[in-house]
Amino acid sequence: MGMEWYIVRRVAWAAIVTFIIVSVTWGLMAAAPNPEVQKAATQAAMDGEDPAAAADLARQRAQLDRPLHERFMDYVVGVYTLNWGWSSTRNQPVTQALIESLHYTVQYSVPWTILTVLIGPLVGLYSAANQYSWKDHAATGFAFFGYAIPNFFFGIILLLLFGVQLRWIPIVYNTDVAVFSVENAIQLSVPIFVLVTGSIGAIMRVSRNESAEYTNADFVKTAKAKGVSTYRIYFRHVLRPTMVPLSTTIVGYLLALFTGSSLLVEVVFGIPGLGRTLYDAVIAQDTSLVLGSVLFFTFVATIGNLIQDMVYTVLDPRISFEDR
Amino acid sequence: MAADKQTFDEVDWGQITGESDRELSPNFLILLAGTAMLLLIAAFDYFFVTGTYDAAIGMDFGNQYTPTFDIIGWGYDVTQLDWLFAFSLLLFGAYVVLPLYQNPRMSSYYWREMKRNRPAMVSLGWLIFIFVIGVLGPVVIAAPRADLAVQYQPPVLLSIDTVYPIRCVGPVINGACQGTLQYPLGTTGDGKDIFNIIVYGMQISMKIGFIATLIVVSIGTAVGTVAAYAGGLVDEVLMRYVDVQQSFPTFILYLLILYIWGASLFLFVVLFGLFAWEGTARYVRSNALAKTEEEYIKAVQLSGASTYRIVRAHIVPNTASSIITDITLLVPTFILAEAQFAFLGLGDSTIPSWGVLIAAGRSDLAFAPWITLAPGMFLFFTILAFNFLGDALLDALNPEAEAESE
Repeated sequence: MGMEWYIVRRVAWAAIVTFIIVSVTWGLMAAAPNPEVQKAATQAAMDGEDPAAAADLARQRAQLDRPLHERFMDYVVGVYTLNWGWSSTRNQPVTQALIESLHYTVQYSVPWTILTVLIGPLVGLYSAANQYSWKDHAATGFAFFGYAIPNFFFGIILLLLFGVQLRWIPIVYNTDVAVFSVENAIQLSVPIFVLVTGSIGAIMRVSRNESAEYTNADFVKTAKAKGVSTYRIYFRHVLRPTMVPLSTTIVGYLLALFTGSSLLVEVVFGIPGLGRTLYDAVIAQDTSLVLGSVLFFTFVATIGNLIQDMVYTVLDPRISFEDR
Repeated sequence: MAADKQTFDEVDWGQITGESDRELSPNFLILLAGTAMLLLIAAFDYFFVTGTYDAAIGMDFGNQYTPTFDIIGWGYDVTQLDWLFAFSLLLFGAYVVLPLYQNPRMSSYYWREMKRNRPAMVSLGWLIFIFVIGVLGPVVIAAPRADLAVQYQPPVLLSIDTVYPIRCVGPVINGACQGTLQYPLGTTGDGKDIFNIIVYGMQISMKIGFIATLIVVSIGTAVGTVAAYAGGLVDEVLMRYVDVQQSFPTFILYLLILYIWGASLFLFVVLFGLFAWEGTARYVRSNALAKTEEEYIKAVQLSGASTYRIVRAHIVPNTASSIITDITLLVPTFILAEAQFAFLGLGDSTIPSWGVLIAAGRSDLAFAPWITLAPGMFLFFTILAFNFLGDALLDALNPEAEAESE
């Protein structure tokens, strides 16, 4: 019963979780009145026809008159064979719509994640190294500021400043520029800045508290006593044990931010990414696309949780697999 | 308990078993009495105050607007959420405020610890201010009402070009409309008083904070402690369920639900309460796991206490510090989530919340930035205050953490 067995079980469980989520979303959708059927009925009533007959017809067209278990089986097979339906507002398959929006989401989330993971722990370490000095207070103040200011509000303010007043960035994201171009970097810099300030706060706090614990640990004192340089002490002896507890929370935390913030930031800055797609689909009542985006976000969350648990087991040899 | 000078063999164990255990604490009695009263008023509201007939308009509004306390001349409509809010305040009073009064020694210790942290004291003051104004304000101040004649009034000490408002309430100096005390924070594009909306928004934020947190803490604590203490299959099942919940972000779940059934503040609060406790449960579980290994728990087990009693009387109070710290970090996320949905236009559009106001002022940012800035600042400072407070509470309630870091 070693690590391999634990990982196998964990992956199997992740697969079961996705199945449960797929079933729950289907149940929610099946229990609710279908907007397309309602639309057909309203249309018929306005045209002076029989709304009940029109509703029946729409139901037949949407294949809602078949027994529940058949519809469920079709749906599950569809989800796992990537046949996610047709988006009526975008006139393309849902999967293709999602891949197109992913293209834009990746452009800002990859730099965002890298910057957060790099800067967050370093600022925390810096703060712990200069504990209770003005440097620590400044770093803590910055972290709290970024953490407390709502991303969308901060985004609006910066857009007003840099977009409307100074005209450095376009007010609405320009999709025509190449991915790796200066223009793209400039227009993405503000959304990335907003997201990074929002996310490093919590990570900086955790890493500050964790590394503060190690700055006076015996092994650090020993290292100091035998003349190891300060940089080496902090990067080799303090940062590494700090990263273990941090790695257990960082993925889940970033994911929670990702689902919420990406939507807001994309709407504020007009980036046609995943969050924006979900938002537009909700507004336009495009059921297939709503379902597809929701599933996509939950899959990302499931995989993220899986990775987090894996990283934890690999990084920390002290944890035992017997009681998990 | 039995008299002091008895020897062991003289103690009447039957009597002691009879009188111990199920003793009702004053906290519980207060909670019980308060709940009974709430239920009575709620029943009164439900059975007697339905379908008011508005004489002025001559229409029956059904359940739209039903002032519960009409008899005593108080035209305040008590909603479903208000009942939950009152109940959560009652719980808060009976199990957070009253215990502080009952244990003056510990309270003064916490107070001393808190006082050393100036930002935390300021934060506490700010939150108490928001709470008091938020709870009492809407009772006194009229609900914000649209009035196009007074649109785009600037706040006190600020001014706006006269081309924007239809009519300037304050004096006009050099072609710029000056703010007046009548609208201390100015008005929106449809002439609603921003100050009024912010006061109502405080109440909404406090409702979200209190009710959703109450549900989260009850479920999270119950699941966390039970999983930790029971272990084995129970632990496995509960924690695997937590995994499922963690993989379904509440933000996305609520989006799906509002797509299907439409948004309402009540639904928001209940949904975030019922499906956002996975973090708390995990946190409490890991803390309680450490506690179950302690000697005093073993001692209580040996003396034959029931599982319920061990969890309720020993594990929960001893994990309280981690629970309270968790709360202060949880409340701002709920308030923020509501503001986010309101900003997206997907929230409950009938309520005057801060997020709605931020969204409303977005198109007027260039010439009337206060519409967005004022609620945004309130939101920012409230979230900031909760974080400072959480940080200070962590130090005050958990001296070990501080000792380690110093």
